[in-house]
Amino acid sequence: MAKISLKNIVARKNETSQVIADLIRQLNANIWIEDGNGKILAGDQQASPVSVVPVSSDNETIGFVKGDGKAGLIANLLSQLAQKESEKKKLGTEVLSLYQEINVIFNFSEKLTQTIEPDMIAKITLEQAMHSISPNGGVIVLWDEQSKSLQVPASDGETLFNYENIRHHTSLLLKIGLSGNSEIMTDLTQLKEKNIINAEVNSLMYAAMKVKHRIMGAIILAGKEHEQFSAANLKLLVTLALQSSAGIESAMLYEKNIREVREREEAILRIHEVTKKFVPHEFIRSLGKETLTDVKLGDQVEKLVTVLFTDIRDFTTLSEKMTPEENFHFVSSFNARLGPVIRSNNGFINQYLGDSIMAIFPENPEDALRAAIGMQKAVHELNEERKQKGLPLIKAGIGMHTGTLIMGITGDEFRMDAATISDTVNTAARIESLTKYYKSPLLLSDRTLHYLHENNGFYFRHLGNVKLKGKNNLLNIVECINGFDDQQFQRKLQTLSLFNDAMSAYHEKHFENALQFFQMIASKDPDDLTSIYFLDNTKRYLREGVPHNWTGTEEMMSK
Amino acid sequence: MDKKILIVDDEAHIRMLIGQTLEELEDEGVEFLTADNGQTALEIIQSEKPALVFLDVMMPKMNGMDVCKNVKQDMGLKDVFIIILTAKGQELDKQKGQEVGADIYMTKPFDPEVLLIKAKEVLKID
Repeated sequence: MAKISLKNIVARKNETSQVIADLIRQLNANIWIEDGNGKILAGDQQASPVSVVPVSSDNETIGFVKGDGKAGLIANLLSQLAQKESEKKKLGTEVLSLYQEINVIFNFSEKLTQTIEPDMIAKITLEQAMHSISPNGGVIVLWDEQSKSLQVPASDGETLFNYENIRHHTSLLLKIGLSGNSEIMTDLTQLKEKNIINAEVNSLMYAAMKVKHRIMGAIILAGKEHEQFSAANLKLLVTLALQSSAGIESAMLYEKNIREVREREEAILRIHEVTKKFVPHEFIRSLGKETLTDVKLGDQVEKLVTVLFTDIRDFTTLSEKMTPEENFHFVSSFNARLGPVIRSNNGFINQYLGDSIMAIFPENPEDALRAAIGMQKAVHELNEERKQKGLPLIKAGIGMHTGTLIMGITGDEFRMDAATISDTVNTAARIESLTKYYKSPLLLSDRTLHYLHENNGFYFRHLGNVKLKGKNNLLNIVECINGFDDQQFQRKLQTLSLFNDAMSAYHEKHFENALQFFQMIASKDPDDLTSIYFLDNTKRYLREGVPHNWTGTEEMMSK
Repeated sequence: MDKKILIVDDEAHIRMLIGQTLEELEDEGVEFLTADNGQTALEIIQSEKPALVFLDVMMPKMNGMDVCKNVKQDMGLKDVFIIILTAKGQELDKQKGQEVGADIYMTKPFDPEVLLIKAKEVLKID
């Protein structure tokens, strides 16, 4: 600390100097004032002064008053003033050091607000401690709740700590560093024995980092000198530790929140993905909505669509030989093969009903036809595999119908479902069941044919009218032969005109002709079960005759 | 001629603090003057013509901005170096400080070291 300068008391242009000068004059004192170096500050030097009296402050001589007997009085006054000045300076120094500390903490807080990473906060904190306290080395240890271990997110200065041992001797550190206290340690033997600190360390000070009563870690500073740290150092370190604890805590909370939000988002996304599988996205999109959450009870839309039903023929017989579990696996693997074919042809599965599938093709009937042919191919492939395994072969029937359909959300506020309400669905289902009757794997109505923009590559056989049970309108049934395996398809293609002739004759009640044609077909294509069905009918009508008003319409008495 | 520094702040501890920070300048013959309001500050500047003024903004009677404007514009004392000191975060003050002709703007809490360096620079003391 700078010494009190006598010059500043007596030789400055201030009130004090003025008063002293006046006093000397009025006392008529014959004196002069010198500073410690003999430099005259006031009055005139004279030879052999009667008295020489020192002026002192804090027991140190800072100058002299020399001259007559009044020198003592003046010196005494100056000493008093110097002492006051000294006290003022001491106070000022103290205020300054407090202010510097405030400045440090202020700047530190400001820096802390600029980061949200716990490790970065630890680094900034240690940097500040190193700068303000000047130890030889320092570390920050933090207890990691997730890994249940001590981490060292920051270290600075000389390597006076063994970081590996800090992690391993957790219990020891917990006892000292993380006990929640802050102190200047006097006994370092244990830490040196465990090789946590270097033998060079002679001073150690730590401050606990805590939020409320939870200890999260500590800042540890090491010095090579004995008694290197003061109480003021510890006080500052504690302040830094507490400030950064709050910062780290909120940074950790922030990280945790971010993590949780991300997890929630992922969960929602997963739910969204799953709901798409239960309620097809196409269904929701048809309602003009993007996600299931946008959909509400009563939402509906009317569209012209082609509805396709497929069903495993004789499934009951097939399933009787299987356990329920085998049964389930069988149906699942069957559905798994058909699903992709439907989707790749712009359709979506509206419903699985045990062994049958209901699919909707909203764009055009070609899609449904292509899908149906693809599904039949998939069944052929499945049968190839089953044949090799010695399993019974599967037959699937596919029926489709084109018409308007209302897609909507039905139910009540607690249980809702995506539903299709339409006669088109019933009709398609009924056509599918006709596949058993006509022994054809793929049937459609003439409505589907009607809406077909182009029938490039598709081959059809008209099977005549059907009157479904409970319906007044007749339904014209058409078979598509593209789904047969290559050999059968070729044979049916070859007999196609013959078949048409046979059907014309049949409907015109020219059963003799019809019999001839059907027999010709049977000889060329003995696997054509549909022709055989009509051949059997023809034989029966020849034998039993037909009513006068017979039109060839098949009356379906069962569903 | 001795150089003079005027410290203007209504808070005694800030005046003491600045004085203490700049203490070593006394050895260079620098004289310190203080004022605790804008009015007194103006009178001292008029009579003593200090080389450097540390000027607080929020003060009774006359605020620092007005003092600065008075000195720089009305009195025409452009050579008086004025450092405006104000509380952190009052960024609007910064702009106003420049408008009224302050030479430097510093925020409180100030860094004592920076304050000393600045004072030496202005007074041309090594």
